[in-house]
Amino acid sequence: MENPLAIKTIKVPTVVRMTASDRIFALMVDSFLVVLFFIIAIPLWSTITLSFRPNHFIGTNFEGMFLVPWKWSTAAYKALLGNQGFLMAFWNSIRIMVMGVASALFLTIPLSYSLSIKSLPGRTLLVVIVLIPHMFDVGMIPSFLMVKDLGLIDHLAAVFLPTAVTTYNCLIMKGFFEGIPDELKESARIDGASELYLLMKIIIPLSKPIIMSVGLFYAVSFWNDFFHPMLYLNSHDLIPLPILLRNILMASGMNEFVEVSAFGEAPVQAIKAASVFLAAIPMIIAYPFIQKYFAKGTLLGSVKG
Amino acid sequence: MKTELTERTRSSKLWRDIKRHKAIYLLLVIPMTYFFLFKYIPIWNGQIAFRNFMPRKGVLGSPWVGLANFTEFFESFYFWELLRNTVMYSVGKLLISVPLSIILAVFIYECRRPHLRRIVQTLTYLPHFLSWVIMYGILLVLLAPGDGLLNDIIKFFGGKRLDFLTNVNAFPWVVLFSDAWKEMGWGAIIFIAALMAIDPTLFEAAMVEGANSWQRVRYITLPSIRPVIIMVVLLRLGTILSGGFNQLYMLYSPSVFSVGDIIDTWVFRGLQEGKFALATAVGMFKGVMGLILIVVSNRLTKRASGSSLY
Repeated sequence: MENPLAIKTIKVPTVVRMTASDRIFALMVDSFLVVLFFIIAIPLWSTITLSFRPNHFIGTNFEGMFLVPWKWSTAAYKALLGNQGFLMAFWNSIRIMVMGVASALFLTIPLSYSLSIKSLPGRTLLVVIVLIPHMFDVGMIPSFLMVKDLGLIDHLAAVFLPTAVTTYNCLIMKGFFEGIPDELKESARIDGASELYLLMKIIIPLSKPIIMSVGLFYAVSFWNDFFHPMLYLNSHDLIPLPILLRNILMASGMNEFVEVSAFGEAPVQAIKAASVFLAAIPMIIAYPFIQKYFAKGTLLGSVKG
Repeated sequence: MKTELTERTRSSKLWRDIKRHKAIYLLLVIPMTYFFLFKYIPIWNGQIAFRNFMPRKGVLGSPWVGLANFTEFFESFYFWELLRNTVMYSVGKLLISVPLSIILAVFIYECRRPHLRRIVQTLTYLPHFLSWVIMYGILLVLLAPGDGLLNDIIKFFGGKRLDFLTNVNAFPWVVLFSDAWKEMGWGAIIFIAALMAIDPTLFEAAMVEGANSWQRVRYITLPSIRPVIIMVVLLRLGTILSGGFNQLYMLYSPSVFSVGDIIDTWVFRGLQEGKFALATAVGMFKGVMGLILIVVSNRLTKRASGSSLY
């Protein structure tokens, strides 16, 4: 699979001269991309600068975007990072993500490996078992009752287990496993390797890129999930970052963060923006890896063959 | 005699195959238990759509009511409103995001400045990885009625400040364009991949023959990615009853329920209010329609492109 980020440039043969209409086209392409750059960048940049805006700042939002860094205030970040509830939520998010990815891979790898073995008796049945829940979505309430009956309410497991296997990721991984040459497996079998040994020592090491891709797919979805925590976690000590962030953003009156800021120097708007930025930071740090593996994984899943 | 023999060898071959893979079946025990618990018990629980569900009596203890929950939903005043809003958002996003993704992909492909191309590509992918909670925070910075950036601009040009998130006329556009802002770069990836597969000699030949840039895009680039465009549109038709729960749930508020409430958000509120059976029936309606749509769109995709997702 070619890296989708490395794009071939269309080479203009030297015998061809650029006409006026070609130049207009090139100008239009460039200006569209520049305009698009600003359309994406301005909202992100104004959120970041808002989070660093000091309490005594007077001026419009437009001026705020050009506030020089040495006049920035980190009061909002100090207020948030010094707050027990915020750190707790951050920690909960990390726990959900780590346990989620671990259990997701633990379930997805054996399942998709089994699905990839063409000679496995009962493989068709297995495919049907995996596809039915994917095609027929009964909705959130039957799942809610299931989690409740299993006694998982107010456990972090309720957040990551219901989505620990997604059919889409399973099919992507299966597609990759199918691409591993059969001769490799056969020769290992002839050498006396058991199926388990084959999976652990040959298949998994060969499949690192796809495991990274799928692992990142899961990690991003667990980190961003606010629906399942909202549904299943009532205890204040368990709420992850997205829920806390939602509470902070929705709060217009008094809450603990507004109270914190009343004693500090950060305006409420800066606290809100800073919490948005802090929640996004793990995604931004991981972004180079995500970009590399995610795009590949998506393409493997969508345009195979 | 002979058939008996082949029969026996066949069944013993099956046995051999099963025995050879016994480690695989062992590997499958945990995933299958997982599927039973987390995917099939919910399907079993779906029967409460046909019962008058009372939490204290449990799924099996609640009395059957036939299709009463469904008729209550179909005859209610919100049925058409929910359906209209859901389809409006799915189709609107399809009409806005997909063309934008195609234009972006073609322009990134046509751009001759590697740095500009790389920067725009990197930046346009980024919002896809931000959750709708974070998006809501960013939208507040932009759209807040008192001190949002967009309202500053409106005021600068002499307009009236607008509370975008609580105004029934503005709200659908906020939903559609915030989705386009977040997803267009990500949606472009599949088209860029399709563009990479075009044989570059086609362009060279066309250029030597005197085709200008517009003609190249019109007669080479767009026709070559046509199958992928058709595939993307058809696959999105399969999810037309989803509409985007996370986005709508974050952005809407009671003042815009008339244009912001979709099937999934209504089901969620039904759950919060304890209307289990009715909300399950609504979810079941969506599930059945979704199943039909997925099967149909998959069949059409298969016919159009010769390959299917499953």
